[in-house]
Amino acid sequence: MSLTVVKGLQSEIFVPITPAPVWTPVTKELKDMKIALATAAGVHMKSDDRFNLAGDFSFRAIPGDAPVSDMMVSHGGYDNGDVNKDINCMFPIDRLRELADEGFIGSVAPVHFGFMGGGGNQDKFTNETGPEIARQLKEEGVDAVLLTAG
Amino acid sequence: MIAALPPVVRQNGSPRAVAPLVPMGANAGGPNNIEQQYAITKESLEWMVKISSAGKIVPLNHEYIAKI
Repeated sequence: MSLTVVKGLQSEIFVPITPAPVWTPVTKELKDMKIALATAAGVHMKSDDRFNLAGDFSFRAIPGDAPVSDMMVSHGGYDNGDVNKDINCMFPIDRLRELADEGFIGSVAPVHFGFMGGGGNQDKFTNETGPEIARQLKEEGVDAVLLTAG
Repeated sequence: MIAALPPVVRQNGSPRAVAPLVPMGANAGGPNNIEQQYAITKESLEWMVKISSAGKIVPLNHEYIAKI
């Protein structure tokens, strides 16, 4: 059976373009690394402004020593039932602290980041939000970032 | 990246990803399931240094089914 019925037939189905991954080689052992969390799950401090549930390209900084009881989620794109019971479901900061206490990782970063992945200006995310978060993480000497929400 | 939706993560070009069997909203494990969250977080970091080329998504054998 021939797969081409008509020569030069083109599909109307739009094929999204996958961006090339940004690859940075690992240069240290885990036990020497300062690790940060970044989540698109809409996690932020209760004292911070909430995210716009319909789409928001802003981000919030979360101090590395903040208790999870001071954090909350505002996100329009997923069932918040579990994360409202336990922020660690999407932002495992307590687990990271435990891993640092045991010496599995070097340390927990002094700052982490939350943003809202449910819609929002993709250009701004790619050209402003993302690079700014990366810049602040580098400034703090963070070696690696664990991301959630995707 | 701890992925709940590996096809989405693949589409977005994540360099290194792990995928436990979890729903959106509990990427790092079930609520208050410290053991599971700890294992997922630890294994994610282990794979971060082990994955040798971009675009790999490693399935993790941890499952959480949310009760809706």
